[in-house]
Amino acid sequence: MLKELITTIAEALVDDPDQVEVTEVEGNHHGAVIELRVAKNDIGKVIGKDGRTAQSMRVILAAACTKVGRRAHLDIVD
Amino acid sequence: MSEATESPEVDEGWEADDDASGDDAEGADSESTEAKGEGAEAAGGGGRKRRKRRAKRDEEYYPEDDERALKALEFLQRVVSEMQMDCQVHLRRPKDEDSELEINLEITGPDSGRIIGKKGQVLGALQFLTNRVVNRPGLEKRHILVDAEGYRSRRDDSLATMARRLGKQAVTDGKIITFEPMNPRDRRVVHLALAKFDGVVTKSDGEGDDRRVQIIPVRR
Repeated sequence: MLKELITTIAEALVDDPDQVEVTEVEGNHHGAVIELRVAKNDIGKVIGKDGRTAQSMRVILAAACTKVGRRAHLDIVD
Repeated sequence: MSEATESPEVDEGWEADDDASGDDAEGADSESTEAKGEGAEAAGGGGRKRRKRRAKRDEEYYPEDDERALKALEFLQRVVSEMQMDCQVHLRRPKDEDSELEINLEITGPDSGRIIGKKGQVLGALQFLTNRVVNRPGLEKRHILVDAEGYRSRRDDSLATMARRLGKQAVTDGKIITFEPMNPRDRRVVHLALAKFDGVVTKSDGEGDDRRVQIIPVRR
């Protein structure tokens, strides 16, 4: 579900939505790790100027987490 | 039935703001915030547009031929529902006629407090991402505004009230008053609030994140 949230956002941001890949890894006590992979040319689109896009996704992820009582961390993998 | 009180914790903040602004005009029923907002606007002289917006506020607004507005709506609806928030997203008619390029979205419902977040952080993130999704390179820039339960408009109202209070003070003291650094949107609210205020002019000074509004008294 947190995975779907990140997938939705990422797919809307990039030029190549087919290459968006999101996996959820059960992390340590800090909660789940959501790994986001996108096409090479789209990395900038999910990070944004000064990391603002990535930061916004993290804020939204955190809000979703409080609602469902979970913890998760977003990792953009390149 | 404690359900109703549980939702926007942020509500308390607004009320505190409104009280502090001290322009409590009329009695207290559910309409009073609305009345207060309008009173404050009217006092500053910029009331007409504001009232028009309020009147239109509750009408259904669905611009069928505006592809990009619908894209914004669809994106925000999906994100909000995947956040598991109990909320609805609507499009609102842009405030004034001269802002047709604006896309106004409003989120309502029991979870809107969470959607706003601390100091409007979550709301800001949603607005930023919607903006990125709608304003793809090569397209004409559309201004995206995302509000929840009137959070932004109330904040604007109390900011405008504060600006006018400081405007008065600048005139009385004959001294320049400088605000804390603010984002472009908030600075605009201050400029507009004092645009028709006698005895002062406003300008912005500083660069980037350090840009501040100054209220400068002028001799008449």
